[in-house]
Amino acid sequence: MKRIMCFLLLTIIVTSCDSSAVSITDTGGANSGQNGTDDGTSQNAQWSIPVSQVVDGGPGKDGIPALVRPKMVNADSDEISVLRPNDLVLVFKDGDDVRAYPHIILDWHEIINDNVGDVSLAITFCPLTGTGIGWGRIIDGEETTFGVSGLLYNTNLIPYDRLTDSNWSQILNESVNGELIGEKPELYQLLETTWNVARRVYPTIRVVSTDTPFPRTYGTSPYGDYNTNNDRFLFPVSVNRTLPAKERVLALIDRGRAKVYRFESFEEVNLIRDTFRSRDYLIVGNENFMVIYRLTGDLAELEFSYVFDSDNLNSEILLRDDEGNEWNVFGEAVSGPRTGEFLGKTESMMAQWFSIPAFYPTEIYGQ
Amino acid sequence: MSNEGAGSWVINLSYDYNNLNTLNAGTDTLDDDSRLRVTNSILLNLGYAISNRFSVESLFTWVNQTRTISQFGNEDFTETSGIGDAVFLLRYTIPNVLGDQSSVAISSGVKAPVGRSDLLTNEGFQLTADLQPGSGAWDYVGLISVSKNLPFRPSATLAAGATFRLTGANSDYLNGESTYEFGNEVQAILGYTDQFLLFSAVFNPALILKYRKAGIDKINGFDLNNTGGEWLFIRPEIFAYISPSIAVVSRLEVPLYSYVDGTQLTPTLRFTGGLQIKLMKKNDIEIENQNKLP
Repeated sequence: MKRIMCFLLLTIIVTSCDSSAVSITDTGGANSGQNGTDDGTSQNAQWSIPVSQVVDGGPGKDGIPALVRPKMVNADSDEISVLRPNDLVLVFKDGDDVRAYPHIILDWHEIINDNVGDVSLAITFCPLTGTGIGWGRIIDGEETTFGVSGLLYNTNLIPYDRLTDSNWSQILNESVNGELIGEKPELYQLLETTWNVARRVYPTIRVVSTDTPFPRTYGTSPYGDYNTNNDRFLFPVSVNRTLPAKERVLALIDRGRAKVYRFESFEEVNLIRDTFRSRDYLIVGNENFMVIYRLTGDLAELEFSYVFDSDNLNSEILLRDDEGNEWNVFGEAVSGPRTGEFLGKTESMMAQWFSIPAFYPTEIYGQ
Repeated sequence: MSNEGAGSWVINLSYDYNNLNTLNAGTDTLDDDSRLRVTNSILLNLGYAISNRFSVESLFTWVNQTRTISQFGNEDFTETSGIGDAVFLLRYTIPNVLGDQSSVAISSGVKAPVGRSDLLTNEGFQLTADLQPGSGAWDYVGLISVSKNLPFRPSATLAAGATFRLTGANSDYLNGESTYEFGNEVQAILGYTDQFLLFSAVFNPALILKYRKAGIDKINGFDLNNTGGEWLFIRPEIFAYISPSIAVVSRLEVPLYSYVDGTQLTPTLRFTGGLQIKLMKKNDIEIENQNKLP
């Protein structure tokens, strides 16, 4: 009898635990947000995207640590020797200050908060969609930094801002949860190209050092062949197979719809004038990069010619027009009567093809 | 679990604490302790000897997992808990196959997916497989173990064993939109156990070397980077028999060598403590008592 009682007792102990539970708390300090509930939960229940399609990617909030004002070094520094000529970088230019943010570093950090001149910039990069977008970090007059929430929507990065703890969808370019829900960040134009082209065009370019506070195996992708394997996905997403899923395309977003441009469209020509949603655009491309500008007002009357020469060291000139202006890759007139003017900025990004139709009704240039 | 003779029960009830706070890239430990994963488990292991050779075994678990990220002055804490998967085994023991006081045992069975593998956060976010208490998949489990008492020191035993786990796939992963399969796993142990008497209680200390190799997980049939690896652990443990049928068990496991695929957290420390109860037939107890140290 004693034995039976003992057995029953043990069985009861274990079976009494027959419940499953989950809890999440964010016990931050001043930066933990203002939407918290009494139990320390910092999330606001309202989301503008389907919560059932949001996935906790595994590492957790800040488990992928964003960089803040990282150490920058010259292009020939040993601290960036792992960066290979054909590795992709995101380039930002403010006046004479040109900076490169390599994918091989962004693969491990996804967000780099930086200050370039008077620009408070966040380079947001999602390794699972190949999207790199420059966001402003001034919210309601206050500077914030962005961190990696650890959440994914359509297998795309959800950053959060440390000022309000609001969550943002990267590809939607919009806050999707929290105090700032519905707000959009200021967008800054980036150039995505190879390190080889970037440092030839801008020999004085500075680049993020691999000497970060977070030792990682920079140069080795944490995702293996993900960028080139068209069938390999880590998280659920609706995949449109019109193009190879991981093909790099230039995506133009305009009022909730998208149009993408392919590198193959620039094999014969380097300039494309296009109209999308009744707006005029100029798309410039070669085998190393694609960029897009909006043409408004009398800019639409200009006749442009492509003059870029990547073999010409220190030449950022991309276009020349019939007024005698020369325009650099960031759409800035650097000589001629319009010096200092910019071609119209766009909501655009380089992306892996599948990620754009997952967010927007999308058309493909030339189809 | 050993076969204690036909009609006997062996019951282990234990608490297991597994701490992962070491971030490795391959064999290199990175200077980053911002991530902490802890698994607390309650394990109930039941064994019943159908005969002197055949026995059945089961393992029921309750699992609590925590993930703590301490970064930028904030702490992000996620916790899941629930019943874990269960293991059912049939064991065949061959006594004295390697001479007197030796045994060879072969076990075969399954790990049944009785634990939840579809837990959501309070907000409704889907959680990945490694935070779920269950795997959502049937696995095949096989074991082989060998033990022999040393002729020149009858109280000492050398033991070796290997465990194989061939995993199945959870085809209902992430809202049923993906499949997930943990990597196959093999473990091998080599241990030395002895016995001494202290304060009228029998103690069985042991020192065990454990090798573990886990294959890379697969998601939708493709390898998932930063999973899988190889480890070598050392595990001192002690059984303290507070009565002929009840032992207090404690063991500590620390890694001697860790190799992980890619970059991932790797075990830092593991502790297990519990009770082992043997419920034997009366005549078996008498025989066992005669075999204990004076």
